[in-house]
Amino acid sequence: MRMGDRNQVRLLWGAAALVAVVVVFTLIYKGSTGLQWILSGLTVGSIYALVAMGFSVIYSSTRVINFAQGEFTMLGGMMMFTLCTRGGLPLWLGFLLTVGIVTLLGAGFERAAIHPLKDQSVITVIIVTIGLAIFIRALAKWIWGTDPVKVASFTGDKPLRFFGASIVPQSLWVFGLTLIAVVLVFAFFNRTLLGKGMRAAADNPDAASLVGVSASTSSLVAWSIAAAVGAAAGAVIAPINFAAYDAGAMLGLKGFSAAVLGGLGSAPGAVVGGLMLGVLEMITAGFAPSGYKDAVAFLILILVLLIRPQGLLGKPADVKV
Amino acid sequence: MDKQLARLPDAESRNYRTLAISTAFILLIPVWARFIPGDVLHIDIVNVMVLAGIYACVVVGLNLLVGYAGQISLGHAAFFGIGAYTTAILCTRIHGFPTWLGVLAGTALSGAIGWLVGKPVLRLKGHYLAMATLGLGEIAFILFQQLKWLTGGTVGILNIPPLSMFGLKFDTDLKLYFVVWIIVMALMLLSINLIRSRVGRGLRALHSSEVAADAMGVNTSTYKVQVFVLSAAFAGLGGALFAHFQKYVNPESFVLAISIMFITMVVVGGMGNIWGGLIGVLLLTFLPPVIQALPQWLPGLPSGLQNFSNYELVLYGLLLILFMMFLPKGVADGLGRAADFTEVRARRLGDRRKAKRLEGR
Repeated sequence: MRMGDRNQVRLLWGAAALVAVVVVFTLIYKGSTGLQWILSGLTVGSIYALVAMGFSVIYSSTRVINFAQGEFTMLGGMMMFTLCTRGGLPLWLGFLLTVGIVTLLGAGFERAAIHPLKDQSVITVIIVTIGLAIFIRALAKWIWGTDPVKVASFTGDKPLRFFGASIVPQSLWVFGLTLIAVVLVFAFFNRTLLGKGMRAAADNPDAASLVGVSASTSSLVAWSIAAAVGAAAGAVIAPINFAAYDAGAMLGLKGFSAAVLGGLGSAPGAVVGGLMLGVLEMITAGFAPSGYKDAVAFLILILVLLIRPQGLLGKPADVKV
Repeated sequence: MDKQLARLPDAESRNYRTLAISTAFILLIPVWARFIPGDVLHIDIVNVMVLAGIYACVVVGLNLLVGYAGQISLGHAAFFGIGAYTTAILCTRIHGFPTWLGVLAGTALSGAIGWLVGKPVLRLKGHYLAMATLGLGEIAFILFQQLKWLTGGTVGILNIPPLSMFGLKFDTDLKLYFVVWIIVMALMLLSINLIRSRVGRGLRALHSSEVAADAMGVNTSTYKVQVFVLSAAFAGLGGALFAHFQKYVNPESFVLAISIMFITMVVVGGMGNIWGGLIGVLLLTFLPPVIQALPQWLPGLPSGLQNFSNYELVLYGLLLILFMMFLPKGVADGLGRAADFTEVRARRLGDRRKAKRLEGR
């Protein structure tokens, strides 16, 4: 085991201990109310985890931070509204269609605007993703208007009791779907040739291209996965949060903070970071004035960057001279 | 070809020439804008130009940071806001507080906070720096919203007095226009001098390789902090002018989207090109009013497109993508290449004619 790994293990234990202390304190001090906060935290945290995963997948294969990641999630929610709540399609069909359409959109955008810029500087590509975010948001405003829309829950709204706290059935859908998405993404990156090739390309693009991993395919697949995961997250969270055209920006920022916390480019890191961020945020919102809730994510972001820029599970950046 | 390029005027003397010409041109804009009745263009040119000048203060500094030193900031709206709130609070809370002093205080405080923040944050590189500045910008925005006793919360601060200096009151757009653009041109001159100085060469070395620059004896960490402070101060100055221009401030003017707009102006115009920043500012500041005026310019537009607010940002986003796809190094780079190209072409053409004449003899 390398020195770095041992430090990382120690750090992970430290972070886990810190979260555990906060959680236990909240539970003892606030009882079932505290449990309620933690359950809501895990719910939003799952969504942050999925959004963070989108950031990580694109970052590791193209070094680009996709500022439109939150917009994929917003589109997921809005399309569920149109297809299922308004259109009356069966749930599973609406869900699959939503994910399918947004994935095609992501893939199409990659081919149209990201692929042609493959030799340009990263900041140029980032500005293009900013343009995409503005474009999607404005289009959504045009199509769906400014009022938030209420998407029907997948299986009713009757809360379930859980140790004195209540949990809406939709939260269980969120947990289940997050689990499935995470397993699928992990299976892709660890079990398929293409996925393994993409990991190799993320590690060392030149060596990977020498053995036949195509950077162009990697980029296309990464964008498709990010769009699919983002849309799925948006579709499943929409019944809990209202869906609105401008919801993507904040979701994107939170997912981004979660990705940094876990280690940008690390898929397990995205999950850990997302859940941690969600729980810490909800607990803070409980104790402090709720206006400061959003500041938690960014304070964590800056602290992590200053102490350990590669995040909890990331690898230190290579220094190129 | 190389010899012909070498004969072109060098970039530095070109910069001063361009500055003189553009100063004259910009200061004359209100004069010829008078001859275009407002209902022809449907754009209040002077008003938009004041806003552009204010943004230019920020973007000139940001371009030094991003384009020359190679350090990204996605949080400059925070400094813009600090400048604006400083002068707004001073001039509304203290009766008779000189507004020009408020502007100076905003500039100074913004620079000071830039120094405090920059010292730890600039140890980060590349993406990590971008993220950290983004986080700082968001925290500043939340503070503007939440520190109600100081900033007035989401309502903000109203009734900010107009800028006045030496007994002159700059209470109309036209009067403010000259103040703002003279300041912009002064900042440009400062920047041009800076980039051709020892510091500027150090910054450029830093941009291409920090390690190499360090090895050559460039004090990279000090230089980075200094240029960050300078850009923060420029942004604070822009923000302070903005407060006196708009007469009110609220947190909405300092959201992440504004930070992103500043960086977009730098990139669309051309990173590391002092004129690029200015071009980017003009393009992106005029884009929304032009899109707004479209229905009036094209009365035959289908009724669905008459309400510009629907598709204003759709067009904006689309144009941003197209700009970056077709001019990835910025508009200034494209213009520069076009100018060089025509100049070289013209000379070649001249040479060929000369050769023909000689042959004919």
